[in-house]
Amino acid sequence: MAPELQSAGYRAVEVLAGKLRRRQVVGSREAALETVLVLRQVVSRAQFSNITQLVAIIRDVGRRLSEAQPKEHTVGNIVRKVLHNIREEYNTATQGTALGTSSVRNVYSISKFVLQGQPRKHHVAPKSEATASLKENDPNDPDSFARGIKPVLMEAIQDVLDELETVYDNVSKNARDHIHSDEIILTIGHSKTVEAFLKAAAHNRNFTVIVAETGPSYSGHEMARSLSAAGISTFLVPDSSIFAIMSRVNKVLLGAHAILANGGMFAICGSLLAASAARAHSTPVVVCAGQFKLTPLWNLYHEYGALDFADPSSVLGFEEGDLVDKVDVVNPYYDYVGPELVDVLITNDGDHPPSSVYRLIKESYDDEDHEF
Amino acid sequence: MSPGPSLPVQPPNGPHNNPSGEPSSGPKSQKSMTKAERRELQERQRAAKAAKTTAGPNASNAKQANKAGQQTSAPKKGPDAAAPAAAKTLKDTKVATAAASDTVAGKAHGLRIFSHFGLPKPVSAAKGDIHPAVARLALQFSNFKITGANARCIATLTAFKTVIQDYATPPNNTLSRHLMTHLSPQISHLVAARPMSVTMGNAIRQLKLEISGSDIDLPEQDAKDALCQKIDNYIRDRIIIADQVIEETAGNKIKDGDVILTYARSSVVEKVLLGAHSEGRQFSVVVVDSRPMLEGKRLLSVLSSAGIQCTYLLLPALGSIISEVSTVFVGAHSIHSNGAVYARAGTALVAMMAKQHSVPVVVCCETYKFSEGVQLDSFTKNELAPVGDLFSSFPLTKPREALTLHKGPNLEILNPLYDLTPPTSITAVVTEVGVIPPNSISSIPLALGRLL
Repeated sequence: MAPELQSAGYRAVEVLAGKLRRRQVVGSREAALETVLVLRQVVSRAQFSNITQLVAIIRDVGRRLSEAQPKEHTVGNIVRKVLHNIREEYNTATQGTALGTSSVRNVYSISKFVLQGQPRKHHVAPKSEATASLKENDPNDPDSFARGIKPVLMEAIQDVLDELETVYDNVSKNARDHIHSDEIILTIGHSKTVEAFLKAAAHNRNFTVIVAETGPSYSGHEMARSLSAAGISTFLVPDSSIFAIMSRVNKVLLGAHAILANGGMFAICGSLLAASAARAHSTPVVVCAGQFKLTPLWNLYHEYGALDFADPSSVLGFEEGDLVDKVDVVNPYYDYVGPELVDVLITNDGDHPPSSVYRLIKESYDDEDHEF
Repeated sequence: MSPGPSLPVQPPNGPHNNPSGEPSSGPKSQKSMTKAERRELQERQRAAKAAKTTAGPNASNAKQANKAGQQTSAPKKGPDAAAPAAAKTLKDTKVATAAASDTVAGKAHGLRIFSHFGLPKPVSAAKGDIHPAVARLALQFSNFKITGANARCIATLTAFKTVIQDYATPPNNTLSRHLMTHLSPQISHLVAARPMSVTMGNAIRQLKLEISGSDIDLPEQDAKDALCQKIDNYIRDRIIIADQVIEETAGNKIKDGDVILTYARSSVVEKVLLGAHSEGRQFSVVVVDSRPMLEGKRLLSVLSSAGIQCTYLLLPALGSIISEVSTVFVGAHSIHSNGAVYARAGTALVAMMAKQHSVPVVVCCETYKFSEGVQLDSFTKNELAPVGDLFSSFPLTKPREALTLHKGPNLEILNPLYDLTPPTSITAVVTEVGVIPPNSISSIPLALGRLL
């Protein structure tokens, strides 16, 4: 544990880790927002005299938080994003001296791209490089570097926060380009992103949404209420009728919990069923998600993401008595939906095919941060 | 699916009284009304009867009608409206009619392609004389006390046996000519309660054939006995023995260590699993279930009390376990001549997922469920389950106010009961004439040496 964490910032990390562990913070955006706020606190209070120390502090926070709840992938993503932004800001700040160090950095090639990702404006400079304006490791005044760079770092974190706060608006800004009038759209569960997308599209288009109720949480009921209250013609159907209805559905709209590097995703349990039924009827599957859900992971340990299980009482209640003793009840949180079942990802930064997710991930995060 | 417990009959939608029994308080005489208006009036009177419990038993008819009007139209009419009740009744009728036409228009705006899904109708007043056994059965159907193609078919035929025994041929008529005209209103009464199942249709067609073929010279009681014997034979040959054969054939497909997945509850699949278990085969069962009916819970309790290792999950979780399954067994409501299986909603999803994971899908289906004709998808013809929590299928942990149980503005609730599994996702159909691929279904009637 870095000594710098023995502060109020550290306490905030522990509080959030506890909340994540107890599932008091659930949902990818919720977790992401909380993480940014904690990181901002940590960075504002951190004591460091060079960039390596700062990165170590943030990585430590990231490790703690993602160990607390490994299934909230957005926590790690936000930490990676913040690290990436901090390095960029640092490189901008130290641009003057960094220039001479690498003479080959303007040579673009496929192999370089594959290895290092998108060519950046500023090459990642060696970490311990001294600069004229920002003097790292100043023995006389160890805090001078932190004092000098903190304002730009806070700005970098604020950028991440702003992105999160505007994510629904940005995902749904092109909604009407994806929905034509009188279309029939199927969605499952209650994804806030999909909800915002549909409501935005309803300003310009007249369409019908079929919501599958999505047991055992039956969150589709809430979605149906919310959409119908917004004036969208809504049909609520049980999960069992997805196949029966699919022959008349024009488009399937799904939310995501996390989008993996291969273009597949973890999404609410039932997504696989809906996406497969859509594939069987050649119905396009559209996924709406913010870019903070992009996760540099390849389908974890199991082909099906059902490693996270919810409590069985919502499937087979204790009122069933002795039945509960005798049978196994399976109630997974998420499904893994492979990239071959997804047609397009609508993100807050444009539309992307699942096959280009790896590139977005290369652009958004630094390779060395994939593991904390 | 086995017959449900014969529970006391509860009128589902208020007492199904004869509307003419109550003096009409409407502005017109019943004869001068249109059909829609009469229905409207009937609805109001039914509601009035329900309101009677609060209003007190000696409330006047006019007050009842007024109360009904309040229920259907607007809450603004206070209880002080009791005095000029008679005057208001006319207005209320108009308001109610307007409201009804409004909802019809609203539905058309919603989505027209769903409008053909017939909504479940309340059991209407009996037309003609309905045998008590049939009236009782109709209530059991409409309350979903008896569900499943086999159970409904057996219950119908048993009820018809009673009807036939209680039938007396009127003078100047013969049994073979007249009995069917006596049965027809009984059949339509059952169909009004719940759309007829394919099995019932096939059985009734067979019965008609037997009736018209019965000997004119036979004494009446003998002819009736002969018909009842034919019905018993039909139940025995086409359903009970057929199930036994299927039980054995399909049971042989289960090997030690298998994981069998089944969806909802089919009486045949239940027998297959119990049979294989009693033969000492070691296998476990995954029961997949879904709303609206959650029938799998009953199967689960039967199987687990028989000592079979069971796993229970809801349909959305299917993707997580399908790769561990060795065979899928499902039942059917009916099977079309192109091999498409019309079964409980959700079966198609299970079969699709199994197909994608190369898990064999076996449909257990008696040949009398064969239905000529081809249906392309389950959208054209389907049946809707009643809206609301009829089957109390929501988890108790979910607060009721978090659920949407009723229609609202812009909000419709559809509960289709069936879906159609395409023949491509079915590996084999186990019938009493053998295990056949789905595309050979159309040869079954020929194999049996007759046309159904």
